[in-house]
Amino acid sequence: MYFLTEEERKRLLKGLIPKSRQNEVNEDLRGWNWHRPPLEPLYDVKLALYEVASRYCPTGRDLFLRRVHKVKPPPNKAMVLGSVFHDTLVTIMVRAKKLIYEKGVAGYQEIVQALREPDLAPLERHRASLGDEGFEEAMRRCRIIWEFEAARIIARVQEYLAKQPHIGEDSLVSLAIPVVVEQKLDGSFLGLSANLSADAFTFSEPMVLDLKFGERRPFHRLTTAGYALVMEALHEYPINVGCLIYAEFREDRLVISKDFHLIDDEVRQWFIEERDEKMRMIAEEIDPGRADDCRPACPYHATCWPSDGRSPGPRPRRPGP
Amino acid sequence: MEQDEGARVLPLRVSDIKQYMYCPRVVYYQYVLPVERKVTHKMEHGQLEHLELDRLEKRRKLVEYGLDEGERRFQVHLHSDRLGLTGILDLLLVTPRGYFPVEFKYSTRDPALNHKYQLTAYAVLVEEQFGRPVRTGFLYMSPGKRIQPVDITENMRIHLRRMMGAIRRMVAEERVPARTRSGARCRDCEYRRFCGDVL
Ligand code: SF4
Repeated sequence: MYFLTEEERKRLLKGLIPKSRQNEVNEDLRGWNWHRPPLEPLYDVKLALYEVASRYCPTGRDLFLRRVHKVKPPPNKAMVLGSVFHDTLVTIMVRAKKLIYEKGVAGYQEIVQALREPDLAPLERHRASLGDEGFEEAMRRCRIIWEFEAARIIARVQEYLAKQPHIGEDSLVSLAIPVVVEQKLDGSFLGLSANLSADAFTFSEPMVLDLKFGERRPFHRLTTAGYALVMEALHEYPINVGCLIYAEFREDRLVISKDFHLIDDEVRQWFIEERDEKMRMIAEEIDPGRADDCRPACPYHATCWPSDGRSPGPRPRRPGP
Repeated sequence: MEQDEGARVLPLRVSDIKQYMYCPRVVYYQYVLPVERKVTHKMEHGQLEHLELDRLEKRRKLVEYGLDEGERRFQVHLHSDRLGLTGILDLLLVTPRGYFPVEFKYSTRDPALNHKYQLTAYAVLVEEQFGRPVRTGFLYMSPGKRIQPVDITENMRIHLRRMMGAIRRMVAEERVPARTRSGARCRDCEYRRFCGDVL
């Protein structure tokens, strides 16, 4: 899912990348300026990146309940499935790389055979929480993801083997699978956790990718912006482009759409504002109050709207001056 | 830009956007807790610089903006009931290729972010008032007389709308915002003595 089609590559090269070079990002908003305002964190609270970037709760009360009141409800079904699908994709990407190194270019047929066998270990771990029916359905979908991705990796490996008769394993891996999955990053320069993990990163044009199984939401771009800032802080090179990948199951098909976007001044500022507001909320224990339009699937629903739905749950507190 | 619920409630000025970006508390004091503030030397100086820029600009040719023909209108009053926003634009270039707002800035540094969103606010006001799309504006940076074109992007418009919403919410809820992250700004600020948590 992280590979670009020819059409997407063209769109990037002719559209977004020249635009990103033309619209310079303000220096104050480059991650390497983490030591001065506005990037320098004001509070000594460390946030996970998803805590800054998630706006599923419109007021951010989920974060307040988790961090201040230590309420930790189990994840809802969509969250479990998202993480299983995600792990399935990571498994196949890593497995493909491992197989190339293990079997070597000469063991190409074996690699292809092995890649066709789905590894559903990530799903097994959630058997209990999904129930029998849920598990069966999830397994069907994990297989769809595996088959889809295996076919694409095999095609790419074949393409490079056909083009480069003297290619070695390392080069084959970097050309056919030029994506680092679950890139571990230390976000502490920006007041974020020291153990962040970006879904994927490509080096050809430095680009952060994030995979979503769910509806498009404008705030999803906060995730790519956050990782771009962290990477700039760590490596001191600019990251101007992000890509959100939306995967959706339609019957037995996987439908994928991509949102390529600039990591511009606006989304960077939005990320920093979210970070600061949320840090302040936790440091000063400010209850932002319940939202008006809570989703029933919110894991905090029972806490915010206990039993009859009329009692307000923990009382909102007004921030003081 | 959608009609904002708050637009009917609280009209804003383009300068509020700039102030809010400098420090949200400045806008809080102006709207929620109006307190007496002195006109500082810095503010008077700023006004004189503006007059000088105005005088210089009158000699400038349109070609320096990459445009060949058109009319220049100075100090254009802009207003939109729908957006709940008003402002006085330094210069509007009215050309066959479109309308271009120009803001004069007295600064030797590269344009700051607040300049960019002020220009965005003028751009949306020009669109409202004249019914013509604005794709590009200019920042005229002086001294140095640099002209910096700025594309008015969709994301800049969204950001402006978010800021206006945040200002209105802050005022409606009478909620003291966090202070600016830059301590240096507090040292120069005329409201400093009202901020209990600023050392
Ligand atoms: S129930 Fe509503 S207010 Fe509470 S955390 Fe969920 S979305 Fe937010």
